[in-house]
Amino acid sequence: MREAFATALARFALSDPRVLLLTGDHGYALFDEFRAKCPQQYINAGIAEQNMVGMAAGLARVGYRPFVYGLAAFIPVRTVEQIKLDIAHDDLPVVLIGDGAGFVYSHLATSHQSTEDIACTRSIPGLQVLSPSDRTEMTACMEYALASNGPIYLRIGKSDRGDVHQAPIDPLKAGQILKLRSGRSDRPGLIATGSMATTAVAVAHSLELNVWSAPVLKPLEHQPIEAAAQVSRGLVTLEEHSIYGGLGAAVAEILSEVYPVRLLRIGVQDCFSKHCGTHAYLLQEHGLDADTVLKRIVAFCDAG
Amino acid sequence: MPVDGSSSFQAARLRHTVLEMAFAGSAVHIGCAFSIIELLAVLYRSYLRYPDNNPDSPARDYLILSKGHGVMAQYACMRELGWLNDSHIYHYFSDGSELNGLSDSRVRGLEVTSGSLGHGFSVGVGIALGLQRSASDQKVYAVVGDGELNEGQIWEGALFAAHHKINNLMLIVDMNGFQAMGATDDVLSLGDLRAKLESFGFAVRVVDGHDEQAIHTTVRQLWRSDLRKPKALIAKTVKGKGVPFMEGNNRWHYTRLNEETFAEAVSALGISQESR
Repeated sequence: MREAFATALARFALSDPRVLLLTGDHGYALFDEFRAKCPQQYINAGIAEQNMVGMAAGLARVGYRPFVYGLAAFIPVRTVEQIKLDIAHDDLPVVLIGDGAGFVYSHLATSHQSTEDIACTRSIPGLQVLSPSDRTEMTACMEYALASNGPIYLRIGKSDRGDVHQAPIDPLKAGQILKLRSGRSDRPGLIATGSMATTAVAVAHSLELNVWSAPVLKPLEHQPIEAAAQVSRGLVTLEEHSIYGGLGAAVAEILSEVYPVRLLRIGVQDCFSKHCGTHAYLLQEHGLDADTVLKRIVAFCDAG
Repeated sequence: MPVDGSSSFQAARLRHTVLEMAFAGSAVHIGCAFSIIELLAVLYRSYLRYPDNNPDSPARDYLILSKGHGVMAQYACMRELGWLNDSHIYHYFSDGSELNGLSDSRVRGLEVTSGSLGHGFSVGVGIALGLQRSASDQKVYAVVGDGELNEGQIWEGALFAAHHKINNLMLIVDMNGFQAMGATDDVLSLGDLRAKLESFGFAVRVVDGHDEQAIHTTVRQLWRSDLRKPKALIAKTVKGKGVPFMEGNNRWHYTRLNEETFAEAVSALGISQESR
């Protein structure tokens, strides 16, 4: 999925000299192709994220199309105020990329883990939030970001979890969720984003559940969520992010207003990681591994 | 208002506009505006290029008021340019009005949304970098407060500007010696600012920030100095300059005018009714 990101970015840069990549000294090896093909459009701004985001605003104001790359713990979380004031306030076409979101940096602990970035960005006016779950969605998100001509936060989580789309998808639309598999209408439907989409598909298989992926977290429109609720019995959201302020919260906000049904939010509870370990280990610690997810969904079915 | 020739941007008249706004809106930050009056007057009169007097011209120079608290000084200059009218001045802070108490990019003529400090300079670095990449001769001036230099982001921007030899950028420090809660030397001493900026790789000049001739000459010298370096002008100023009871008195960061202090301040400017 990260390759799809880097490839799309290099393609954009080759076709448009206004496209610039700014990195906060991150992305080792990821940008080799970009640097080889468009060295003049690559700017390592140093370990100075606040200045980097402010500069991106300045570059956008004189006609450039900056893509600002960092780890999600820093872009956007460390720079929320620069994103709000310098970029979103002026509706500038800057794409902010937060890589390694969730528990990707499982061995590096709290400073590099990011389970609050969606919550931080969703409330910033005019800022759209994207969260692709595989390489197909990543390419579509990059096309969407370039075409949107406004401020975007693109979240990249654990990126080696395989594909959820087996065929090409249509260009993304604001507010849309993508059906990954059809299931029974007397059981809960799953809406997942990012790394949890593969888990959702795996779990849904044995239980014959509907599954959707949500690559566009903001804006999220009422109609697709309501439609998902209508063909399922209750909904379950899955995300490698806090249950506060992310996908689960966004779906809850919509359902409570237009179509109240039972909702189970599977995500990170109100806690930091306690231990060091692999990504798989941390998913287990936070109850986001496939076994725990399956048990919680079964219990949710039984209780409904 | 006269808008051309040497009679424009008269410091006393700019201060009078600031007083009118502050009185009309019961606004604070008068001292912050008064310390940069001469700096802005010289820039608007002699350096900033706005083709067709258009604040949105893509070919303009950029004045970034990173210390957004001084925005009334910029409003006063924008009134001289005809970008603001008397209604803006006399209805300052009225409900539903356009002009805020800090720089807001939605106002034509203001470039950044500042007041949260340290932001404007980085945006200015980005604009300057973009213009430099486009081989434009446009210039970027970023006015920061000495208190604002507490912000780490300023020094991130300074590192970047020097490393990338952004030579169309001038950092202007309004060195009035005060920040919100007291003297900069008491809150967080800046030490030898000139040496600091030089060590970061800037071409630096120090000037009396209320001597218009000196400012004019020094800005010119800076643009002609080392072509590989960003520029920094350290302007030694007096907070509240122009009205004796406000000068060097940090109360006028916060204090609002009443009828009495307004009249006294206007009188202290010593300008005749017709030149206001």
